[in-house]
This record gives sequence, C-alpha cells and structure tokens, in this order.
Amino acid sequence: MKAQEFAIFGLFLSLGAAAFGATKHDYIVTGSKPDHLFVVDPAKRTIASEFKIPGANDFVGTIVPSPGGRIAYVLVNKMESIAGIDLTTGKEVFRADLSTPGERVKCIFAFDVTPDGKELIVYELPVKLGLSEYKVEDTRFAVFDTRAGLHAEPVREFPAPRRVHTILARKDGKSFFAIGFDLYEYDIATGKRLGMRGIRHWDYPGHSIPDLLAFWPVSEPTGIFASPVYSTVKPPSGHGAPVAKTALMTLDLATGKLAFHDFETTSALIFSAVMSPTKPEAFGVYSQLSKIDTGNYTLARRVDLAHTYYAVLVSTDGKEVYTAGAMCDIGIFDAETLAEKGDVRLTGCTDQSITSPRLIRR
Amino acid sequence: MTTAKRRYDKSGHLRFGILLALAALVATAPRAAQTPSGAQALQAACGACHRPDGPGRLARISAVRKTPEGWVMTIFRMQHVHGLKLSDAQRDALVRYLADTQGLAPSEAKPARFALERRPNVPDLELPGNLQTMCARCHSAARIALQRRDAGEWLKNVNWHLAQWPTIEYQQNARDRHWWRTASTVVPAELGKLFPLHTESWRIWQHHKAVDLGGRWLVHGHRPGRGDYWGTADITRGGDGDYRAAYRLTDEHGTATDGASHAIVYTGYEWRGTAKLGTLDTHEVFAASADGSTLSGRWFIADHPEIGADWTAVRAATQPQIVAVSPDSIRIGSRARIVVFGSHLGGKISFGPGTHARLIARSADRLEIEVAVDSAAHPGYRTVRVGRASDARSIALYDRVDRLEVTPAYAIARLGGGRIDPVSAQFDAVAYEDIAAADGKTRALRLGSLPVAWSVAPFNEEAVRDRDVDYAGHIDAFGQFMPAGAGPNPQRKFSADNTGNLFVVATLKAQAHPAASAKPVVGKAHLIVTVQRWNTPPIY
Repeated sequence: MKAQEFAIFGLFLSLGAAAFGATKHDYIVTGSKPDHLFVVDPAKRTIASEFKIPGANDFVGTIVPSPGGRIAYVLVNKMESIAGIDLTTGKEVFRADLSTPGERVKCIFAFDVTPDGKELIVYELPVKLGLSEYKVEDTRFAVFDTRAGLHAEPVREFPAPRRVHTILARKDGKSFFAIGFDLYEYDIATGKRLGMRGIRHWDYPGHSIPDLLAFWPVSEPTGIFASPVYSTVKPPSGHGAPVAKTALMTLDLATGKLAFHDFETTSALIFSAVMSPTKPEAFGVYSQLSKIDTGNYTLARRVDLAHTYYAVLVSTDGKEVYTAGAMCDIGIFDAETLAEKGDVRLTGCTDQSITSPRLIRR
Repeated sequence: MTTAKRRYDKSGHLRFGILLALAALVATAPRAAQTPSGAQALQAACGACHRPDGPGRLARISAVRKTPEGWVMTIFRMQHVHGLKLSDAQRDALVRYLADTQGLAPSEAKPARFALERRPNVPDLELPGNLQTMCARCHSAARIALQRRDAGEWLKNVNWHLAQWPTIEYQQNARDRHWWRTASTVVPAELGKLFPLHTESWRIWQHHKAVDLGGRWLVHGHRPGRGDYWGTADITRGGDGDYRAAYRLTDEHGTATDGASHAIVYTGYEWRGTAKLGTLDTHEVFAASADGSTLSGRWFIADHPEIGADWTAVRAATQPQIVAVSPDSIRIGSRARIVVFGSHLGGKISFGPGTHARLIARSADRLEIEVAVDSAAHPGYRTVRVGRASDARSIALYDRVDRLEVTPAYAIARLGGGRIDPVSAQFDAVAYEDIAAADGKTRALRLGSLPVAWSVAPFNEEAVRDRDVDYAGHIDAFGQFMPAGAGPNPQRKFSADNTGNLFVVATLKAQAHPAASAKPVVGKAHLIVTVQRWNTPPIY
C-alpha cells in the first residue's frame, strides 16, 4: 500500500470510528446499489460513514438495525442473504446465506431482529431446484442466532403463510407479527400461531378488500408500525363508480393494537408512512410528503417533492422528517411546515431503490 | 447478468446470418454423414439435464409444442439462465428441428398471429376462466395461446414461473388474490383443457406434405403512414431447403424499391425471412396457405418491429388477375391516375357507371389509367374490370370527406435511452364519406389514405398542466411518433420522466378537400407515451 493510500485508509478508519459521538443522537442508516451502506448524520447534514457490503451481488434491500443500532442486518444477494454489518467498523459480523445446493431461498423483505438482539426471524420462500424443473415449496419462518457468525444456519423453522411481506417483533420479545394477506402473530420459540386479525378479511363496513404492500418495516421511534392501505367505498349517492380511500394502518408493537382509519379520498399515492413521536401525526411519502392528523384522521398538509421517495423517517424529537429511498439523496423537512430544510446526497449518487432506510440512536 | 446480455439480438428475431454460412459449408459435403440428426443434436445439447422420460423423449422438452419464436425464447433462456453453450448455428438448427416436430398447426397459431407478426397496439385475445387475470395481466394472452402442453406440464410451467420470479405473488397484478393457490390448482387444468399438447389439428398437420413455395408471386400491401405498395417476388428454394427471394416493389407515390430475402420455412408454413428492402433491414413473418397459393403476414424493421407493413403474396396465375388498385378512391368531378396491378391484364377497362377510363401506359403486370369521374356520378363503390379480371376490393367515388379515422385509436409509445431503444408509434389515417342511404341509415364509404398533416395535442387538463406536448416527443410528416429520452427530467414536476398523455391529430390537407367545405376535417387517436420496457422478447 502506498503512503498516500495508507493515509486515506487511516482517515477512513478513523472516520468510521469517530462516526458516533459521545452523546446519543439520531443517525439514518441507508443502503444503495450495488453494495453501499451509509450512516448519515442528519443533524450535521453529512455522511458519517460508508461501507461496502461483501457479496451484495448488486442488491441492497431491507435494513434491520439491531437494538441499540450497533449492527445493521441487510437483505442482499438478490434477496438470498442477510449480512450483518457492524456500523462502527464496517465489518461483516453476521451472514446467513439462505440458499443451499438444490434449494434456492428468497426472503421477500420480511425479517426482523428480536428486542434482545439475539435472534433474527426470517420469512423464506424456498424452491427446489431439479435437473429440468423447479418445485415451489411451502413458505416458512426460519430463526437464526445472531451470534452465529458468517455461516449462520437456522436454529428453528416453522410453517408460514404465503405472501408475507413484513415481519415485526413484538416488544415483549415473545412473539412476532407477520403482515401478508392478514396480520398473523406467532410465538418466536415454538412457531405456534397465536392469532390472526383481518387485513384482507378486515371488518371495515362499506369498504372493499384493501390493498397493502408496504415493505418498509419502520416502527421507530414510536414502536408503532404505520402503513398506507387502499380500498374503495361506494359513493355517497349509492350510484356510480366506487371511490378510492386511503387509510392508515397502525400496529402497536407493544400492545398489539391494530387499527385502520381512512384519512382521505385518495388523491395522491403514498408508499410508506411513519408515526410522529411527539404529536398525533403521521407522515407519508411518494412524490409528495403528506402529514396526516391521527387525532381526527384527516390530511393535515401536503407538499410536492423534487422527486419521488419511497421511504420516510422522523427524528426522535419529532421536529424533522426525512425522505429517503428511490434515488440518491435524503431530504430533510420541517415536521411542522413540511418546508425543506436540507438534503444529504449519497456518495456517487447511487440509487437507494427499495432499501428501507432506518433511524438509529446511539 | 447485464441488461444487454438479456436482450435478444436486436429485434429478438431469429437470426439467420450464421445459418447462411453453415449452409454454404455443408452444401458441398454429404450432409447425413457429418450433420447429426435433429434428434441427436437435441440430445447432445439438452440431454445432460433433460433426461429421457420415455422412449425417444426428453423430460419437459417432449411435453411442449410452440412456435419458432417460442423455441427461440426457450433456448435463449437456457443459454442465459442455465448456462447452455451453443453456437448460433446450433441454436438455429435446434429451433428448426423443434418447430418442425413440435410446432403448432396453422389453425392453432392463427388466432394469435398478430403477436408473431409483432403488430403494435392490437387488441389482445381474451382468455376464459381464470386465465385472463392469472396469465394475461403480465403476458399477452397471445403468448399463452401460442403454446401447447398438458395439465401436468402446465403445472411445471407454473412452478417455474414462481421459482424464476418469486415476487410474482406480491405484484399489484397478482396480490389481489391468493395467486399461488389458484396458479397451482385450477390454472394448469384450465390451460391443459384449452391448449392441450395432443390435438387433432396437429395430428393432421404432421402428415401435411410441404408445398414448394418457389416461383413468381405478385405482392401487395399497405404500410401505415406511407401508403400502398405492390410488386413481384421471385422465390427459389435452395438445396439446403432455405428460400431466397428477390423483390421488385413500387409504392403508391411511384417510388421503386428492390429487395432480397433469405428465409426458412418452419413447421411447413411459417416463413421467417431476413431481408433487405431498399436500405431497410427487415424481418418477415409470413404464413403460407396449406395449398401454397398465398403467403401473407407482416414485415417490419429489424430494430423497430413497431414499424412495418402488411404483406400479401399470391402466385402469379396463368389466368388474368387484378391484385391491387391504387389509390382507393377518386373524387367525383375530378380526374385521377390509377394503377392496376396484376397479371395477364388485357381487354376492356371499366371503372363502372359515371367514369371514363383511358389507358396511359401498360407493362407486363401493371396498367396506368387516367380515370375521369362525371360530376353527376353517384358516390359509392365501383368494381374495377380489366378484360375478364375484376377487383373484388373495388374503388370508391366520393363527393366529400366527412371524417378521418386514425388508427390505432389507442396506442402506446415508449421512451428510449441507454441500452433500450425507444418504441415509436405509427399512425395511419383513413378517410370516409358518410352517405345517407335510402333506408334512413348512414353508410360509410371508405376512401382509403388521403394526404394529411400530423400533430399532437394534450389529452386532458393534466397533460396541459404538465406540458406533455413539449416533453413527450414529436410526430413526423408520416404519422410516426418519436418518443423523447427516458429518465428523470428535473424540468418537470416531481422530476418526472418524459411520459405523456396525448391526442394524435390528423388534419386533411387542402388538396384532398373540396374548397366548398370550410370546416377542417380532423381525426384523433389517443397516445400514451410511457416508460421503457426492459425485456424485449419475440413474443410479449
């Protein structure tokens, strides 16, 4: 290594080591193609550190931070591997390659870490690879020990319904929620299904079967997961075309309370949403940033964005909203007015695409 | 895998260049001694994975019938997903063998030929039962209708779908239902019933003796936006079984174009040619009739399958025949120069009541005639007769142009950029006079293509607001809409792509329009300019 490169390498290391300050504050973890992982300091409007994920294979998907934000578990390798990256050193400290010879396994965005940080619950879609044919196998949940290192294998597996897109661990650490056709709850230790509540089978009088596919498993900082849900209702006159409604689904990961509330006749697409920690409000994003009054369930404010974002986060103090995903920047907005306050552009302007940016505090 | 690698060569058409070279090489050698039989070549290329599942059978492969394009797509996938190594010549030979031995009968392919012919903006087939929502939300229904399997093999095909594209059941077009449960149970049964492997029509067609298509043919066709053309095709069959054709074509504006084609006929009737028409590199997708008397279909520009023309060829008969009359109409009270194309054209020329025909020039297959139409002539169709030959299509005499019909009425163009070519949209305008009939109803008199000016306009308020006309692309003098470049455009709201929602407007030019009528005659179509399509297979 030449002296100059060594100096840059040293700077990089020190940058990584110095990324997290002595007092706790918010950071945003995001990924981008083909193999980038960034820690962004939104208060300073800078990138605190950036890493390359080994074996990402041009795919950086769902991000799940460990409790305390020390490690980011990232879905990579065309949805076939989960890499655990130490956010201080950038080192890969955990890896689960889901596929094995003869069986190709994809995880479609759905995995979470237990509140004690000890286990990952992963939704798996396996396919048996025959010599001249494939056979689709039943979907399943697989549980991994996060201390298993770089060759993690499932410690438990149990049956799962099809088309699950989000997994969220319950705060008590005993069960987890799986969101798919409906909301299912499973015992983490035994895999026993503890309950099912309607999404497709929701009890929302006058409403059609809803459409829901938000694979940004963000519940921080409130511990409440929020997602837009679309359905139609009959027009007030009873005649004519059905009217599209946007509802907010909320799932409290402490109490398990699930609720749906229409807040507008659909007038904009929203991909994902997040709950405010300080006010009865939620924020939703796509080509507009929307503020939803969750006291009255009305649209409180909406502003056009410079471009489309898929994901939205809110600061722990509730004062700033961050738009991320899709392209290569993180927009910073005032939570009160939704006025743009700043922007952090990712190095090399690589697309975040469908990664799920997350807020950590350390 | 790069996007470039995923793409089929250029238009996704069969490639014949290397086959041509191979044919030249083997022409001097005894073929049987050195060239493996089709079955042997198939075994050698595919047998490592596709094990025998019966005498003379290979697993999966023997359970399927499809078109030449279908086999090209299958082999392409085997090469690019499963690492199959083949030279282009080996690949082409396999396609030929498979299409010949496991193809579709003409009656089976007929309803979906538009897909093989790459006709843009054509209404798709409607599939019954669950198939429309389970299959045709992502594929054209035609693509499914161009394959034959039994239910068990369809089930394997369904398994392959979800294995290859695991997000299917999450996508908007599938997640409104329990996709996999339906796909793995009722769908294979429905497909096996509708598109089974064993059919009477295929059983009969396998005994059909292929007709030699060599000889002289008379050709006519219509190229949207450019008008009619006609001419001759001299086709010869080589010792290798391939066909070579020489074309001499003339369009309605008098422009002559020579061409040459090299074609393979698959399955006894599926003509696939690679041709040069003037300066254009084209592909031909024609079907020979069972008796070998007609050869019809469509040719298109190799890099832009959306641009092409209808093609009908009939054998040059020993009897007098009219193949084409151009143009399609004459205004009452005017004179027009009409071309009648055919063979053995001689004798008395008639354009029917109210007309006076005068022969100006004659060649072996073409008459040039000046036709004067009396001011008092009644509007309507007239049968064109030359001696004993008459044209069933006839010619229209008209008073005025009441309206223009722009086709296709609804079209899609796609932005281009990077490795993905734009997909243009070609429009055509047909003029009509609406005649009040004795029964009180209105009868439409089709006048054919008349000179029009092309323009675009915003389709709705949103298109006005977003200035789609300024961003989405432009239309040329021949009715071809050329879309703009793809990618986020910072000048647009939300940095949106250059998509657009437009009217395409044809306005009749003055020379075709009687001065008495002050109101401009216009026709409209709806054009959506949308995002790129990232894979471009031969059958969508």
